[in-house]
Amino acid sequence: MTDSINTAPATDNLDALIAANAPPEIPTHGAVDWMKKNLFSSISTTVQTFLFITLLVLILRWLLGLIFDPEASWDSVATNMRLLFTYNYPADQFIRIWFTVGALLTAVGLTIAAWGVDPKLSVKKLGGNLVGVGALIAIMGIIAPASSTIKTGMIVVGVLIAVLGYGISRVLGEQKISFFPFLLVVAGFWLAVLWLVPFGRNEFIDGAVSNLPGTINPSTKIPWTILILLFLGSVLAGRALVTVIKPQALRLTMIAWWVVGPAFLIFLVLRDPQFDYDKVLRTDVPWALGFAIIGGAILYWLAKPGVGEIGRLFAASATLFALFNWVAAFAGWYSMLQKVRLSFLVFALFALAAPTFAGERSVRLKFVYAWVGTVAIGHWLITGINTVSTLDIAAPPFLGGFTLSMVIAYYVMLASFPLGIILALARTSKLPIFRLLSTLYIEFVRGVPLITILFFFSIMVNLFLPGGMELAELAAIFLGYALFSAAYMAENVRGGLQSIRVGQYEASDALGLTTSQRTIFIVLPQALRVTIPNLVGQAIGTFKETSLIAIVGGFDLLNVAKQSIPNQPDFLGQNKPALLFICAIYWAGSYSMSRASRNLETKLGVGTR
Amino acid sequence: MAAATPSSLVPDRAMHHKRPPFWRNVGVLKWVVQIVVLLLVIGAFWFLSTQALSNLDDKGIPVDYNWMSGPANIQLGEGIDTVPNSAGRALWSGMVTTLRLAGAGIVASTILGVLIGLARLSNNWLANRAAGTFIETLRNIPVLVQMLLWFAILTSLGDLVNNDPETAANEESGPIPGWLYISKKGISLPRFFWADGFYQWLVFLIVGGAIAMFVRRRIQAKQNLVGGTAPTASVPLAIFAAFAVVGWFINPVVGGIGNVFDAMESAWGSIPESGMRIFLSVAAVAAAALWIKRFLDSKRSPAGLAKLTDDDYFRMIFAGVAALAFMAFAWRVWPGGASWLINSGSDFWGWLGDKFGNGRNARPLDGMRPTINEGRFSNYGPTGWTMTVFFGSLFLGLVLYTASFIAEIVRGGILAVPKGQTEAAMALGLSRVQALRKVILPQAFRVIMPPLGNQYLNITKNTSLAIAVGLSDVVQVGQTVYNKNNQTLAVFGIWMAFYLICSLTISAIVNFVNGRLAIVER
Repeated sequence: MTDSINTAPATDNLDALIAANAPPEIPTHGAVDWMKKNLFSSISTTVQTFLFITLLVLILRWLLGLIFDPEASWDSVATNMRLLFTYNYPADQFIRIWFTVGALLTAVGLTIAAWGVDPKLSVKKLGGNLVGVGALIAIMGIIAPASSTIKTGMIVVGVLIAVLGYGISRVLGEQKISFFPFLLVVAGFWLAVLWLVPFGRNEFIDGAVSNLPGTINPSTKIPWTILILLFLGSVLAGRALVTVIKPQALRLTMIAWWVVGPAFLIFLVLRDPQFDYDKVLRTDVPWALGFAIIGGAILYWLAKPGVGEIGRLFAASATLFALFNWVAAFAGWYSMLQKVRLSFLVFALFALAAPTFAGERSVRLKFVYAWVGTVAIGHWLITGINTVSTLDIAAPPFLGGFTLSMVIAYYVMLASFPLGIILALARTSKLPIFRLLSTLYIEFVRGVPLITILFFFSIMVNLFLPGGMELAELAAIFLGYALFSAAYMAENVRGGLQSIRVGQYEASDALGLTTSQRTIFIVLPQALRVTIPNLVGQAIGTFKETSLIAIVGGFDLLNVAKQSIPNQPDFLGQNKPALLFICAIYWAGSYSMSRASRNLETKLGVGTR
Repeated sequence: MAAATPSSLVPDRAMHHKRPPFWRNVGVLKWVVQIVVLLLVIGAFWFLSTQALSNLDDKGIPVDYNWMSGPANIQLGEGIDTVPNSAGRALWSGMVTTLRLAGAGIVASTILGVLIGLARLSNNWLANRAAGTFIETLRNIPVLVQMLLWFAILTSLGDLVNNDPETAANEESGPIPGWLYISKKGISLPRFFWADGFYQWLVFLIVGGAIAMFVRRRIQAKQNLVGGTAPTASVPLAIFAAFAVVGWFINPVVGGIGNVFDAMESAWGSIPESGMRIFLSVAAVAAAALWIKRFLDSKRSPAGLAKLTDDDYFRMIFAGVAALAFMAFAWRVWPGGASWLINSGSDFWGWLGDKFGNGRNARPLDGMRPTINEGRFSNYGPTGWTMTVFFGSLFLGLVLYTASFIAEIVRGGILAVPKGQTEAAMALGLSRVQALRKVILPQAFRVIMPPLGNQYLNITKNTSLAIAVGLSDVVQVGQTVYNKNNQTLAVFGIWMAFYLICSLTISAIVNFVNGRLAIVER
């Protein structure tokens, strides 16, 4: 104790001492010195520099040659934007797409506000980046194999950007700007691009390509303007909200939204089910209410700490009943709504979990709220999914292109998360049979390529199902991908589980927690925090590998680029521009995720705690 | 969070010494739960597979592997056998193409990845930034998209023009006519190949290598005693080179080995089938018994046998069950297995006998230049080494994508070696090269090896994307086969088994190397 009292001022002194005796900052003498130091410091470095200059010029010129290839028709991309992003979603229903994007952007804004994302950005660094980007554009303008107009244009734009960047860093210098002004600048930039840059108006009108000069179509730029403003507004609104309610409450709401919200958008907004309200009121609502009220009351009783043997007996028999319903379904003994069967199963799981969440009144109420929420959302979604869509779409899946890639990537990650945790817990458990089963599953799945599993599921799944049951091909592919991803997720989570010290287990045992309480309240929260960087890595991988859906016949982003566009009579064989374009999309998605993960790592302090 | 009421925390004194009833006894419950889950899993498997078999039966597709030896009626784009006479042979050709692609990809991406990783660490600003851009660009684009882009680029290269000297001397494709062609049909180079005398020469190489290793050990042992410098590299290398050079000219001398292999062939072929089966069963049981004995020995100490946990019992029971399952497989599931083993073993010796017996006057290696025939590279006869656009686009996509990951691994590995190690090596008076070779790299390798092995596995699995451009790898051939005969289930079985064997082999090699590199602790 005395040590810490004595050392605290000593460290201050030490810091001051170090600061006072720090070596004088070496004055910089501009570009020549910098080049001498970083490019020509020795003979071998000089050789390296010239080697890399040659290589880079050759590679850049070749790459730019692909872009400025006179045979490459970039109209094929510009005209097919709708196909690339939403595939064959009907044009007259496009308001639903805008609503979905708006809801997602609002949620992103609120999430940013809820977590208080507010990095201070150095103006000097931003200016430096602008100078770099400008210089690169100017250099590309010099070496590009294109017409002299384009070359001059690129050089002029590049020099302008570089001068702007240099000016900003000279005038504003050492200042730091906070996040919202930065967002304003970025939003302003995109709005200017939307309204000022003459990309041309490319669209199909009655099947023929129309290519008019001017800025982007108003049907694109007006919604995007509104959406960008909505995003900025949601950040502000979120910040205002956090001052009124607790940030923790907003965070919980946002997490819940990110788990179920996208499903609402897909199945209820984009798909537009045509509800038969009479039937809904007669069957769906009563069942949901019944489960919520009666089930909630029973769970409230089960979560009482002193409920004893009778509660366990009840939970066990509820589980047996729920499982028996499925056996009866396969054997055909009695009929039951699939929704009801599923509800009984979920109820049994809640009943089994009740002792883990036992506690005082408020804790038990939270548990019951979780059950009621699950019933409400689950029943609404299942009803929505099972209702006929009003959309008039030529080919059945109403999702396609970039939307499909995103949806599959998002839900594969979401579905494989609980599955991966269960597998990881089984693999690290002390029970040999669980460990064996989990290890076999994980090692088997990790040993075979994803594409064979996707083939298996797309072709074979219906073969394994009993007569009368069927699974749509896209759903089968999704199932296969999620089962595949779960094995990798399990390995990531296992890494986190292994980082938990023995003391944590001993301490929770000393507190008298049960095994499941220890796992849920002590082990998993710590393990998952350590796992986050790996999870983002896996999310990036999953996003990239959705491109494999193209091989098994799904019309994702890649399949539109490699098959739909080159087969259009107007753009026969034009695959390079579209492929380069989707390269840019995939790159932007993956790169921004990896940057975000690096920031998140610093913010969470993973590895520093 | 969750707290039991105080009353349940205080144990009842009367209950304390009584055993809990069996439905509350953790020792019983954990086994009940595990066995129930195991039965559920087995039941689900049984249910699904009977469904699948009956569904297939309804469609009139019996699940067996007899079609493997039946006629294939398919033509492959490339591979060791483009017109295979059986479906099994077609799949084998696909497997070889996959292995070629994986092997070439592993070698090339390692070399490129190491170079880029070193460039990323360079203190030259340009090299550093260029390597960083390479890594960040390529690893964020899906490998499949990269492959398809390469395919689009390679197929838009120029046509291949006949090098008929009479008519089109000026139109000949290049860049170096007769030596190197780059076109939309692929790339072709002169080729070296193992000629008939290669195997006899190989005997000389193996013997020379063994002697060189022996001599090196002796020299090192002497150096360890005496100290100073010793020719640990030059003398063994000279011995090996001498054997190689002499063997090049006199390799037919050892052709007699072929007769030994021929004798082995007939000896192996005369094993009776039941004998083989009994041998396999005995071997399985003996292996299980031996494993259990060694396991028990490892638990035994001077103080006696340690208390065995549930886990230990489970392992021993599992070893026994595995042996029984193997026997069941050999006798009931695949009755022809024993004779297959005898036949293929005898074929293998026969193949060795062939290779060592004939071609006694041939050179070990030979070379050929590429030739063009009617606008395409010749498939048959004397020709160069050709990489088709299909193989090329796969190869480029795989190598560039994986190299970007390997570069990061290499960089991380080298950065993981503490700076003090370099300084300590310098303080000992080692040169920079010596410090790198003896101090830094061995430690960096230890960090690099496990993730590198993962990347090798990824390359092997990513070769399955060949189907996107139509390269005849095992997946594409398999798909062609089941589109013809509907034997989907059987083909999936072959795919899974093939990739599992590849993955397990690579992990085994990586684990072995890892074990060799591991720190030997006291």
